Amino acid sequence: MATATTDSPVRATPELLKDLRTLRVAVFHPPDQDGKELIQQLQRIGCQAQAFWPPLPTIPESIDVVFLAVRPDIVLPDWASSRQNGCPTTIAVVTYESPTIVDAVLKVGVEGVIASPVKPFGLLSTLIVARRVNNSLLTLSKRVQNLERKLAGTRQVLEAKAILMKARQITESDAYRIMRDQAMARRATVEQIASAIVNANEILTFK
Amino acid sequence: MSQFDPVKVGVLFSETGHISTIETSQFLGTLFAIDEINEAGGINGREIQPVHYDPQSSPGLYRMLAERLVLQDRVNVIFGCYKSSTRRAVIPVVEKWNRLLFYPTLYEGFECSSNIVYTGAAPNQNSVQLAEFMMASYGARVYMIGSDYIYPYESNRIMTDLVLQRQDGAKVAERYVSLDATQESFDEVIADIKDKQPDFIFSTVVGDSTQYLYRAYAEAGLNPRNMPIASLTTLEAEVAQMGIEAAVGHISSAPYFQSVDSPVNRLTLSNFQKRFGTNVVPNAGWEAAYFQVHLFANAMRQSGNDAIDALMPCLLGLEFDAPQGRVRIDPSNHHTCLYPRVGIVNADGQFSLVRQATRAVHPDPYMVTHSLGDWTAKLSAVE
Repeated sequence: MATATTDSPVRATPELLKDLRTLRVAVFHPPDQDGKELIQQLQRIGCQAQAFWPPLPTIPESIDVVFLAVRPDIVLPDWASSRQNGCPTTIAVVTYESPTIVDAVLKVGVEGVIASPVKPFGLLSTLIVARRVNNSLLTLSKRVQNLERKLAGTRQVLEAKAILMKARQITESDAYRIMRDQAMARRATVEQIASAIVNANEILTFK
Repeated sequence: MSQFDPVKVGVLFSETGHISTIETSQFLGTLFAIDEINEAGGINGREIQPVHYDPQSSPGLYRMLAERLVLQDRVNVIFGCYKSSTRRAVIPVVEKWNRLLFYPTLYEGFECSSNIVYTGAAPNQNSVQLAEFMMASYGARVYMIGSDYIYPYESNRIMTDLVLQRQDGAKVAERYVSLDATQESFDEVIADIKDKQPDFIFSTVVGDSTQYLYRAYAEAGLNPRNMPIASLTTLEAEVAQMGIEAAVGHISSAPYFQSVDSPVNRLTLSNFQKRFGTNVVPNAGWEAAYFQVHLFANAMRQSGNDAIDALMPCLLGLEFDAPQGRVRIDPSNHHTCLYPRVGIVNADGQFSLVRQATRAVHPDPYMVTHSLGDWTAKLSAVE
């Protein structure tokens, strides 16, 4: 039989797994069998988990992960309908899969779902993936904000160049050079000079 | 012996296939405990009747035979399994039918089925202890060679984390061979080891192929004094299989070795050998298979009934004077408090203990990051 050995890359432990035992978890779930299983498994994993029922009206700042029971007979707390990016990772615990419940789960905007009956196996994976999704959303959201800002800046630079070119009858590259020199002289960015030019032009040409 | 119905229990250990050597020792450990209990009057007068099938080292057969035990033989309790793939094959059966599996083997952790009692070592009960001894005695450059499945992957991950906690730590290689690897597979590995000169070799090679690694090492003229093989799975049974010459000087960590110096152990070994002879070699898997049956019997004496709902409350927190020491089932996670030890193979084919736990170590199957600095995990040196 031919030799069969496989090499593999360095098998380092991902950070998301390493920081499991530093996580502060709030469990908003009734104290039934599912709630108890959930808390016990979170304790085995090593998270600092606390359970509250009914749910707290606001989520404390230090909470990293929230488990929220979503059931037909339960009114969700206010914060469940106004979550924004950066809000803690949220995982729903459901006892039904019918569209009404799935819709409610989607409205909360969770990053994961656990189905009743709750059992130990699967919780760790769901928790890690939900944290990863949440981190990605946060990162992407920041990146979008940055890009939008840059895009706005670029538009203004174009507009300012056009204004200068028309006002002074110069070329595009001369217009840009003027703006850049002004920026250096005033210790400002080219985008800020552009913004000043555009604003000034609006006032000067105001009819 | 009694006018009450016997208690039928399922036994699932392989007598054939690549895992048969170690599982046969676990099988006989189980039968030995059953004999002891029956000879002492059984469980409240009821005789334990083992029902055994040979799953032939194949996970598919473990599942099928577990189902047969539950549905045809109507057992409530099964003692069995070595490899994680076989345990995972049995889990759906015991969970669906709400029966209980006693699992007597070291494994990679990250599990907690309410239908299993785990009596083998979790990683925090053997990996850290082995790493600490190897790095203190030989250095922190490690070459990893293992069988190709989940247990070696996880063990290597843990060992990598531990080794890299030292400034001079390094993983020089991480290689895997198939479970039915032959000697040729290891010749190339040994050549690579000679080339890379690690401080020690961490082996998670399991089953019959273990002997080929150690023999290839010996034939290449390598010296265990300088560059030993460290393992969690090479125990007395594997040493007997490979021959003492190939094994001498190499190191293993387990909660139990035959050389544990206690009256309970000496008596148990002596009684076992009188009844079953010396063909089967006692080891940590055998010892867990043995004491878990006693735990079951003692729990059932209290509950009166082997159905899991009656039995489990009596099992959780239960203690027993096993050959390794007084063990206890941890109620929070169904695993067992054990006594990690480290031993070096000597000229008699036994393990001379170099490290020993004086207090039981609690199982923590969900520990991701093991820390060398954790002095609560440190073992005492054996003089």
